[in-house]
Amino acid sequence: MSPSPPDASGPAESGGNPADSPKAPLGIGFAFGRSVACPYAAPTPASQTPLLTLRARPLRIALVGNPNVGKSLLFGRLTGRYATVSNYPGTTVGITRGRTLIGAEVCDVLDTPGINVLDGFLSEDEAITRRIITGDDADLVVQVADARNLRRALMLTWQIAALGKPMILVLNMVDEAHAHGIEIDVPALAAEIGIPVIETVAVEGRGMAELRTALTQPGEPVVRAEPGKDHVRWAHDLAVKHRRLRRRSIGRFQEWLNQAVRQPATGLPILMAVLYAMYLFVGVFGAQTLVGLLEGGLFGSWLNPAVAALADRLPWALLRDFIAGDYGLVTMGLTYAIAIVLPVVTTFFLIFGFLEDSGYIPRLAIFSDRIFRAMGLNGKAVLPMVLGLGCDTMATMTTRMLNTPKERLIAILLLALGVPCSAQLATIMGILGGISFAALLTLFGVVLLQMVAVGFLAARVLPGDRTEFILELPPIRLPRLGNIWTKTLLRVRWYLGEAVPLFLIGTALLFALDRIGGLVWLANISRPVVSGWLGLPPRTAEVFVMGFLRRDYGAAGLFDLANQGLLTGVQVVVALTVMTLFMPCVANLLMIVRERGPRVALAILVFVTFIAVMTGTVLNHGLGLLHLSF
Amino acid sequence: MALGCSISRFDEARPLSSLVPGTAGVVVKVLRDSSGRADRLTALGVTPGARIRVLQTFPGIVFQCDETELAVERTVARSILVDVATAPPDTGTTLATYL
Repeated sequence: MSPSPPDASGPAESGGNPADSPKAPLGIGFAFGRSVACPYAAPTPASQTPLLTLRARPLRIALVGNPNVGKSLLFGRLTGRYATVSNYPGTTVGITRGRTLIGAEVCDVLDTPGINVLDGFLSEDEAITRRIITGDDADLVVQVADARNLRRALMLTWQIAALGKPMILVLNMVDEAHAHGIEIDVPALAAEIGIPVIETVAVEGRGMAELRTALTQPGEPVVRAEPGKDHVRWAHDLAVKHRRLRRRSIGRFQEWLNQAVRQPATGLPILMAVLYAMYLFVGVFGAQTLVGLLEGGLFGSWLNPAVAALADRLPWALLRDFIAGDYGLVTMGLTYAIAIVLPVVTTFFLIFGFLEDSGYIPRLAIFSDRIFRAMGLNGKAVLPMVLGLGCDTMATMTTRMLNTPKERLIAILLLALGVPCSAQLATIMGILGGISFAALLTLFGVVLLQMVAVGFLAARVLPGDRTEFILELPPIRLPRLGNIWTKTLLRVRWYLGEAVPLFLIGTALLFALDRIGGLVWLANISRPVVSGWLGLPPRTAEVFVMGFLRRDYGAAGLFDLANQGLLTGVQVVVALTVMTLFMPCVANLLMIVRERGPRVALAILVFVTFIAVMTGTVLNHGLGLLHLSF
Repeated sequence: MALGCSISRFDEARPLSSLVPGTAGVVVKVLRDSSGRADRLTALGVTPGARIRVLQTFPGIVFQCDETELAVERTVARSILVDVATAPPDTGTTLATYL
């Protein structure tokens, strides 16, 4: 069992062969032969007899195309299943499958990671797409294209055409293309390539009826090979021939904003403002106001006393404590999950979804390229790093968009080492916000410094190359509230589904340990390190154990300890630094095992733990020597 | 665009890395090296004949190629040769004349 995050949308091959799916063990579909419309819908030419095809499995339709052209949106429109939609290349890093009725036939639709070329050097997510469409996994290829970038799309069309599969070309975002003054002569283009070409605006559902009709009658692409003409030349000529350019009518504000966020003079202040807004919304409103209402109000004043009163009627003391004691399922497990972490996660996902859809995050790559270069990566790595703030497990999977194994390994290591996930980040802000701003700066300063140092070393020690920085920037857009809402709901549901059970299991585990004296034993055995080196109360050891189950669970435990006044300012900073750098949570570790194998995962685990303890020790004694307190 | 006019007399290809923001032109050639850089650029639409416009040069180079906005490091920009003499007027209305 590997708990996968919502965006994971299933690992590439986890679904296995769709024909094996329990829904249709022997999905026998009836299909009308290619290029023949449904006989009940339209009169069929006499020359073409409707063919009733008996299939061993449903027809598979693969949505393929350049990154960030709207494949996942189209997938959602076709199947009614939501695949995470964002405004940056590389949102989809695995295959998502869904089922739909096309004409009279049940079809499997496959959403694939974006791809720019079929042959040549591919990153891992691109290789997944190539495997799908070159193998037997796709019977019909629907190429989705950004209507503004016809030339690029056609280069890919030529390569897909070489596979000899039936095909349809979808020109998506024609509304934006029109705003950019681009119009395409669709009938002429369709005639020339020999496949249906459909114009759509997937966000609004425009053109979907036409697409569904076209799916029953795909064409065999005709790519006339002329001597001395490669796919580049072919695409260029075709695009120029069928594209009309008119005056642009794109919004001035959009252009101004795009320029403002990427120029250092305006972009860096904007970045500060964005971070501050996040702090206000997540750290103050979420972690303080909402948590206060839920923890102090709902749970503290109502639910927990009520549960305790109910539990008091239970005849067994053990059961009473199990539900409402110090390590009670309700008083600890549920309180942590619902009252402390949920508000924080929800507010974070809301603002994060907004940033994802605006197209802002990839532009940070321009500023950070030089720093990442020193760490053996390039600016592109800013995407997994920032996504790690949402969930490190999901971000570990997103590293597939990086080009070389070395880059992936460094990125995965840095994610495991230093990037705090949303819940942890906000509990950090919630705890340190109550102490001092200097404490917050110390923590982030130490963690960032540690990440740069480790990255710098890893870049020199690990074999392999880094790739040069070439990144496509998505357009700046005003996010659609509907999509942010759907995404947030999906992520919160995932949190509730994955985290709450783990919180409860963890609490039960702690309860059992406490009963058999395991917690005392743990505190004793780790005393030399926890108290001696790190200068923390022995009880903090259990918080670190909790942190391994889930980082936010540990952070919530620390939040609780700090609230009870058991820790000094310095101790809080040291404990949080160690926990931030400490080993990743179980889900993240399992993801590393799946992506890089058990040996790498073990190595990362040992290394990260070592760094965390060492850094905490140095920090503790350093602060002591300098007589600093927070 | 004063610069575009002043250098239009010299009909020669210049590396993208040497152009100032606002310069427009047409890609003449993408230099090949061993790293597959040219293939990656080609796949993103940076091919001979593509019209480009430099948007920013610091801290990284950002340019627009067709309707794609790309950010690259300097080494990459050095390998893209641009003919600024055939630069189109910035309005985008008479594109057909130079394509």
